Amino acid sequence: MKDQVIRHSLSMAVIGTLVWSMTGCMTSASSRYFGTTTPPSENMLRYVSGGEPESLDPAVSNSQPDARIYMSMYDALIEYEPKTMEAIPSVAKSWEIGEEGTEYIFHLRDNAKFSNGSRITAHDFVFTMRRGFSPELASRNASLGYYIKYSEAYNAGRMFVKCGDKFLLKGGGTSDPAQPVDVHSFLDAPERLTVAGDEAGRAKAFEADKKMKDAAAGCEFVPVKAEDIGVQAIDDHTVRIKLYQPAPYFLGLLGHQFFRIVSKDVVEKFGTRWSRPENIVTSGSFKLLEHRPYDRLVVVKDPNNWDAANVHLDRIEFYPLDEQATMLNLYKSGALDATYNHTVPSSWNETIRQYKSEYQLHAENASEFYVISVKKPPMDKIKVRQAFSLAIDRASLALFKKTYKPLVYIIPFGIYPKYEEAREKVWDEELKKQGSSLAEWKAREFDAEKARKLMTEAGYPVQKSGSGWSCPTFPVENVSITYNTNDNNKATAEFMQAQWRQNLGITIPLKNMEFKTFLPMLNKVEYSGFGRRGWIGDYMDPFTFLYLYYSEGNESATGWWDPKVDAVLDEANKTVDEQKRYEMLAKAELMVAQAELTIPLAVPGTSFMKKPYVKGLYPNPGVLHPWKFVYIERDPAKWDQDANEIMKISDPQVDREVKNLMATQEEFKAKQSAQAPAKTLESIHN
Amino acid sequence: MALLVVTVTWGLIRIAPGTFYDSEKKLPPAIEANIKKKYGLDKPWYTQYFIMLGNVTCRTMAEDETTINGLQFNVGSSRVKCFDFGDSLKYEGQSVNEIIRRHLPYSAIIGIIAYLLALVVGGAAGLLAALRQNSIYDYGSMALAMLGLSVPNFVLGPILVLVFALGLYLVPAARWGGVLNLILPVVTLSAIYAAYIARLTRAGMLEVMRSDYIRTARAKGLNETTVLLKHALRGGIIPVVSFTGPALAALLAGTVVVERIFSIPGLGNIFIQSVLNRDEPLTLGIVAFLSVLVMLLNLIVDISYGFLDPRIRYE
Repeated sequence: MKDQVIRHSLSMAVIGTLVWSMTGCMTSASSRYFGTTTPPSENMLRYVSGGEPESLDPAVSNSQPDARIYMSMYDALIEYEPKTMEAIPSVAKSWEIGEEGTEYIFHLRDNAKFSNGSRITAHDFVFTMRRGFSPELASRNASLGYYIKYSEAYNAGRMFVKCGDKFLLKGGGTSDPAQPVDVHSFLDAPERLTVAGDEAGRAKAFEADKKMKDAAAGCEFVPVKAEDIGVQAIDDHTVRIKLYQPAPYFLGLLGHQFFRIVSKDVVEKFGTRWSRPENIVTSGSFKLLEHRPYDRLVVVKDPNNWDAANVHLDRIEFYPLDEQATMLNLYKSGALDATYNHTVPSSWNETIRQYKSEYQLHAENASEFYVISVKKPPMDKIKVRQAFSLAIDRASLALFKKTYKPLVYIIPFGIYPKYEEAREKVWDEELKKQGSSLAEWKAREFDAEKARKLMTEAGYPVQKSGSGWSCPTFPVENVSITYNTNDNNKATAEFMQAQWRQNLGITIPLKNMEFKTFLPMLNKVEYSGFGRRGWIGDYMDPFTFLYLYYSEGNESATGWWDPKVDAVLDEANKTVDEQKRYEMLAKAELMVAQAELTIPLAVPGTSFMKKPYVKGLYPNPGVLHPWKFVYIERDPAKWDQDANEIMKISDPQVDREVKNLMATQEEFKAKQSAQAPAKTLESIHN
Repeated sequence: MALLVVTVTWGLIRIAPGTFYDSEKKLPPAIEANIKKKYGLDKPWYTQYFIMLGNVTCRTMAEDETTINGLQFNVGSSRVKCFDFGDSLKYEGQSVNEIIRRHLPYSAIIGIIAYLLALVVGGAAGLLAALRQNSIYDYGSMALAMLGLSVPNFVLGPILVLVFALGLYLVPAARWGGVLNLILPVVTLSAIYAAYIARLTRAGMLEVMRSDYIRTARAKGLNETTVLLKHALRGGIIPVVSFTGPALAALLAGTVVVERIFSIPGLGNIFIQSVLNRDEPLTLGIVAFLSVLVMLLNLIVDISYGFLDPRIRYE
């Protein structure tokens, strides 16, 4: 997801520092709360949501700030649990997953309604998906759902190869023409071959694969249609999704905006203008009341929503602004109840964090790191890369940045406890085999001595010079630290530069550029040396971080690819057993980590403000809040006292509601295990 | 002239690296191709340029074209459409014309009030300084003007917020809303203009007061008030009027810094965001609008000279 921190190209250092240093003088930490702390007179929440939303159409935007707005206006099949972000029932009251992990059946509730009162049926979800993957919509999120059968082929305009009455299959052979081609059996049938939609693309593929060319000779090409993708409505309240391969995180992914339900009738009626205020129809707990771009977006409780009885707020006012000083001014003056993540300027952190009941700092499902352009010398030498990584004192960085925790892994810690256990185990074994140890790996947090040794071994001797070090042979002119203009990034880059100068005697030049200039440079690996990077997980699974290194055209922005890692990752995702899968993912993580492609730095903290009277809003790992759980507590005795404990302290109201929601799924599961397993699946297949 | 501006802007946007759909996440080639096709970016650049030029000026509409953008009228048998900047790339389903229409009033309201305030405060201070030259009033108001000129608004704004919004809780700290919300941004914005106007008025008045026709006016026995208001002021404020054209254009167009500090949904804020977002149609639309606005205001100012100063006549 887009890292919204870096969007502050305009964030004016001067303003921030000035306002904050001044308010700092005036604020005495002795007062218990930061500024005015009176709940709003109305039953509402005033929330700063970040930049102006791109669109109110959930399929369009891929940014996290927009996702928070979509979460109020659109329901999905599942919803995130407010603390853990695990999947809990929403429009789907229960679900079952086929034994091979490639098939999902969702049972929709009968009383789910859109804001115009019409029913949400399975067909609306199917429509949402077909639209989402359509090439005409050109959604930037589409690749999130590529595990769904034929969705990628449809999205990319690919074609089936039809020879007579048979279709060519992937991996050779032809389909059985005798088989009836109703939708269900079509999706269970062996996967068909698809080829590029354009002549040139096909010619290239045929060039590479002679056998395929021969098989396709004289055959016609049939475009993959929306109806072919693996999402089907079995009846009005049953949805079936078929994947190519098991993806254990798929269920949790369904809470992403791309999968949030839009109304078939309304979208078909108004086309691209359906999401304008005069036309919009939504499916969530709240519906649009007013949208004044760059000023406010007001949503009110939707009485038609299936869970309206458990929606506590009457309305939410989202204020689209991203100037940190301005939003904290508003917060302090009592005109705001909560802000989005990373909104406390680091120069102000010391003061803010004294307000224990308001400052939310918890681990995020994200990681901060620097990428290395590994194809360009001298960074093509693995020892050089390792040396640079070891020469960073991560504990100091964390201390300096105030919201960070030091990280020596690819996948952040503190988010996936079970995965971390598996990682400890696998890495310990693997590293011992290599004559190293897990303890030695953990020491990578900072080991200047070893860094100098590695650098010398790589052919760039580091010598003592005065009180410091020097490395005269290292070609500094061939590398740089590239980052996008932003105070925060600048501070980190300068820290890195200082560390390397201090510990290796190498001074790498800094190079900053505007965000949109920086992005293509990074993605096309046109930079040399080091590039700033951050990654926010798209879903709650460790794979969201390893995905960056998956496939030849991967997103790692390093120019690196290793088919061996792909193989392990594929194998892992095919594994249904959670523990075994985690172990395999851990193995892949070690392979990636040992390739020294990135310099892991830190797990960023959520770092946002919330008034103590706002309850049911948690600093969860994705900082995504299911708004219906949020309420305003008017009794000061029940206000939050310590934000550090907020994830541990249970809120009876929230717990009860989550439990009630889970009940339908628990009930369903109990009934299932009492009867023959996977009954619905069977009845569908027969 | 405006066309030249549009062309140059278009060229500059095209040269700038990055696109509106770039994000930290690298898009699969298929999705990128879909996006390019959707927005016509797969066509050659000159085709794109002429399509853009056609939209921005005038073109005949296709039979089946339904649109809400731009100005439409019938010429003979065909329908013609003008000034259609198309839809924003970033904000799906919103046309550039409507975005400008929607956000201009915010900037205009704040800008005009700020300028009026500046005229009153600055004009009065300047007059006072000119009439009591080298007195304590003169030094005092010019010192204040100097201060107003040298304190940038991104310093003044936060100080005002600190004192009046967070210290005394008199006015809101930011955002658009009632009349109270206007106070801080208007004062912040007008400070520098008031200072400028004060200095211009003082200089203009001093010069005029020494001129021959004022001596003549006094010589024919007019009282001091008439001399001042009827004769001197008209000539003395000419520099202020010349300043008004570009100043009003700049104010109407929105002032980025003040709009960001106070989170006002004005045109300046949108303009900067559109450039950062690489939202080509929106940037083009605002640039074209502003260039026309600047030309128009300068024209008005030029014409108004004739009314103010009898010595200036247009043939």
